[in-house]
Amino acid sequence: MLFKKLIRTVGRYKAQFISMIIMVALGIGIFLGFNIEWKTLEVNVAKAFEDTGFADYRIMNERGFSAADVEAIEKIEGVTAASRFLSVTVPRKESDDLLALTITENPAVSGFKVIEGEAYDSEDAEGLWISERYAKENDLSVGDTFTMVYKNIEFSGPIRGLVKSGEYLICLLQEGQLMPDYQKNGFVYISPAYMKRVIGITFYPQINVRSDLDKDTMIAKAEEALGKTYMVVDKELVTSYSEAHGEMEEGKTMAALLPVIFLAIAVLTMITTMHRISISEKTQIGTLKSLGFKDRRILRHYTTYGVFIGLIGTAIGVGLGFLIGYMFVNPHSVMGDYMDMEHWELHMPLYSIAVIVAINIFLILTTMYSVASMMKGTAAEALKPYAPKAMRRMWIENKKAWKNLSFATKWNIRDILRHKSRSFMTVFGIVSCMLILIASFGINDTLNSFIDDFFEKSMCYQNKITLDIEQASNADVDALIEKYDADWCAELGIQIGDNAYSMQVYSLDHGYYQFVKGHGEYISLPEDGVLICERIARKENLKVGDTVSVSVYGTSEKYDLKVVDIAKSISESIMLSKSYADNIGMNYQVNELFTNVMEVEDSPFISSSQSKQTVVDTFNSFIYIMFLMIAMLVIIAVILGVVVLYNLGIMSYAERYRELATLKVVGFKDRHISRILIDQNIWMTVLGVALGIPAGVGILKILLVMLAGDYELSLTITFTTYLISILLTFGVSFFVGLMVSRKNKKIDMVEALKVAE
Amino acid sequence: MKIVEISHVSRVYKVGDHEQKALDDVSLELESGKTIVILGPSGAGKSTLLNLLGGLDSPTSGTIKIKGKDISTLNADQLAEYRASGVGFIFQAYNLIPTLTVLENVALVKEIAKDPLSSHDMLREVGLGEHMYKFPVELSGGEQQRVSIARAVTKNPDILLCDEPTGALDTETGVMVLKLLQSMAKEHGKTTIIVTHNQNIAKMADVVVHVKNGKIKEVINNDKPLAVEEVEW
Repeated sequence: MLFKKLIRTVGRYKAQFISMIIMVALGIGIFLGFNIEWKTLEVNVAKAFEDTGFADYRIMNERGFSAADVEAIEKIEGVTAASRFLSVTVPRKESDDLLALTITENPAVSGFKVIEGEAYDSEDAEGLWISERYAKENDLSVGDTFTMVYKNIEFSGPIRGLVKSGEYLICLLQEGQLMPDYQKNGFVYISPAYMKRVIGITFYPQINVRSDLDKDTMIAKAEEALGKTYMVVDKELVTSYSEAHGEMEEGKTMAALLPVIFLAIAVLTMITTMHRISISEKTQIGTLKSLGFKDRRILRHYTTYGVFIGLIGTAIGVGLGFLIGYMFVNPHSVMGDYMDMEHWELHMPLYSIAVIVAINIFLILTTMYSVASMMKGTAAEALKPYAPKAMRRMWIENKKAWKNLSFATKWNIRDILRHKSRSFMTVFGIVSCMLILIASFGINDTLNSFIDDFFEKSMCYQNKITLDIEQASNADVDALIEKYDADWCAELGIQIGDNAYSMQVYSLDHGYYQFVKGHGEYISLPEDGVLICERIARKENLKVGDTVSVSVYGTSEKYDLKVVDIAKSISESIMLSKSYADNIGMNYQVNELFTNVMEVEDSPFISSSQSKQTVVDTFNSFIYIMFLMIAMLVIIAVILGVVVLYNLGIMSYAERYRELATLKVVGFKDRHISRILIDQNIWMTVLGVALGIPAGVGILKILLVMLAGDYELSLTITFTTYLISILLTFGVSFFVGLMVSRKNKKIDMVEALKVAE
Repeated sequence: MKIVEISHVSRVYKVGDHEQKALDDVSLELESGKTIVILGPSGAGKSTLLNLLGGLDSPTSGTIKIKGKDISTLNADQLAEYRASGVGFIFQAYNLIPTLTVLENVALVKEIAKDPLSSHDMLREVGLGEHMYKFPVELSGGEQQRVSIARAVTKNPDILLCDEPTGALDTETGVMVLKLLQSMAKEHGKTTIIVTHNQNIAKMADVVVHVKNGKIKEVINNDKPLAVEEVEW
């Protein structure tokens, strides 16, 4: 019999039950979705690295390593495998496409996995193993002939296999490139035999190492084995590893921030709703008690509601979580545009199961507590309807101004203060809605301004020419500068202490390059010192006026540089003018030209050219993905706002039913009563919006630091963002207010004012 | 003058497929300025009658004229206006707004009534001058009912409608409330309609209407209504 009651009670409170289920589902769904995102990446990226023997360390020597060197490294205790390795960026013949031409002596280190075609054969001096992704994008298949040209040497041969490699998990081959372009970039593996056939020699400037040793031990042992100090780069500095792990970290950060807000809202909604349902069920609870049902039985009966909501909410939430996870991470998502990975199966972290179980237990406990508090005492006490706290006079009422307030205002103020938890939840719901809107639109604004600052405005040239510094003499470079009427830049690898950075010397007579100080704020290079980027300033603890000592990588040159200003930069760089570099007697070699000339003639001194437009275009997919995420967050924020506010609205409506009926009996029109309710709604919304704006800006700041500390983004929120967020939030609040107040017409005065039994 | 003219009024409630006639072809005329008691057992239809008179409900058929104006065809807003100025309600459960003070509960109606009286004066008149700034919960039941009377009279309506006004009160308090009701009605010249199942209250009425099974059984004019004190409780 109680089961029948259970079903009917669910029907009676269907708005509340549905909103609780939605909140639990949203909370769990978002929590799970965000966690699935990073866990899926973690598992599948690790698999990709493991499958293809991704190297833990790279030992660098521009002059090349001998076979004895690699043997010595392999003998180090703690080294699993080592391989001499070469990777050079080479254009495809008669095309702008760039490919990383790669040779690894030992295919177990920094190798590849064949997806289609023949297995690798180190004796094969003819064939190529090409990036599967690039092949698919360019309609290449096994057996086709593929040709690249490097320094007038053709590398050509039949494609033996389509492959994937951890080394090129995120295939970024150009400076300043943020998104890989698998249509234009890829990689090609050839065997050492192939290299020997084509160039006559083998040359390996790198030994890649698989090892569990920590970096310091590795450096020390490598030095011992090779008898000389070489630069050892650990995997943290390799794009594929660092970017992929950056994505996971971002995912973890997001998972720790946004879902928590949703879970908190879900939990709070559950508490308040359950409490309110128990209140209105109090006489029923009392009736059951007086009929002789034991407390335990009644408790069990009501706890079923919690279980019911929990199970349905969890089921929907888990489905939603996997859907969200899939939206973020699948081969056709932005993540798929970013990473070239074989496996994309979804995985969830174990603790998310624990969290889901905990939420359900909490829901049950909340239900039990709410019911138990209504059941206290004797059956007679339980039978009495719930008595809300008595009104007391508030300090505010002693003020003169109070007397002049309209009845509606007084009623609203008292109503808000009397139902503090409900008012708090309402404001909390609005704040959350506002916060998510501001933060999501703000991310969009910030990224747009980032692109605007660093690409549209900072790069004032149309075309960038990269020189082949090994081929070009100073005279050749000067001739090219004149020919293309170019500004130029010379890039040097430097170290401050043990940390590697980049340093650029600029000659900017045409003003083809500007340095970003803040959003829309540009500075030019000083004559008497250097600009450093924010990250170097932070890591090396430098401020304006300090002197920083740098040593140029690969040489014994050291310079003391005066920090004149701090700028924003995409790469970790120190930037200085030609005149300052010349003053302090710095050696440099020009390697990039900035020009407005679009047609670049073939020249042995030029390795590639890249138009500004290409760079800007690579952002389009990036922006598109952001747009999708933002659209999702905005939709969720709106759903959240509607559900929380509607739920509260319905509950408060039920609580005030008698009062509203009295007003109606006394002669207030429906419109008038609606206005009172809507007034209160507006106050709460104004308060929520006022609190939501700083909260949103705060969250956005945290997000930017955590997610994009690498890009030195300047927080930007446009007026439109504020306007849209405010309008949307008010829209939600107003819409819900109308839905609730429409019910006024249905108030049954006769029924409402019957003597409470 | 005839203040109430009810002719052939029926009120049918639908409960599922089943129809229930709460009032069945009722006709009744009442004179202005009188105290009218509607008597009957529970379920007789007396509260339905009161609700129809108060504009809380509309008849299924028939017409109800108050001061010559038909209220049976009014829309929701017009009914609200009628309730705001035409009638004052006094309920068994008082129905005060818990979040408003005594004074505010009474003053509330001044926002909607056409020609309201002073709420301060009225509260003094019902003897609550001292308690104006208290909240309803701080008052006894009798005091709360007095606030309810003050609220009804402040609207300055033609008719006071009382639904078991003493139902929730002990005899002594009930007598006081009735006394107040009678004197307020006399002083302000109101027609008072009291619905009750308490036979004793009928002795103070000018007109007693007996209702049973949705029909009016008889209407008795009482030439010598007793003062409240004279009634044996």
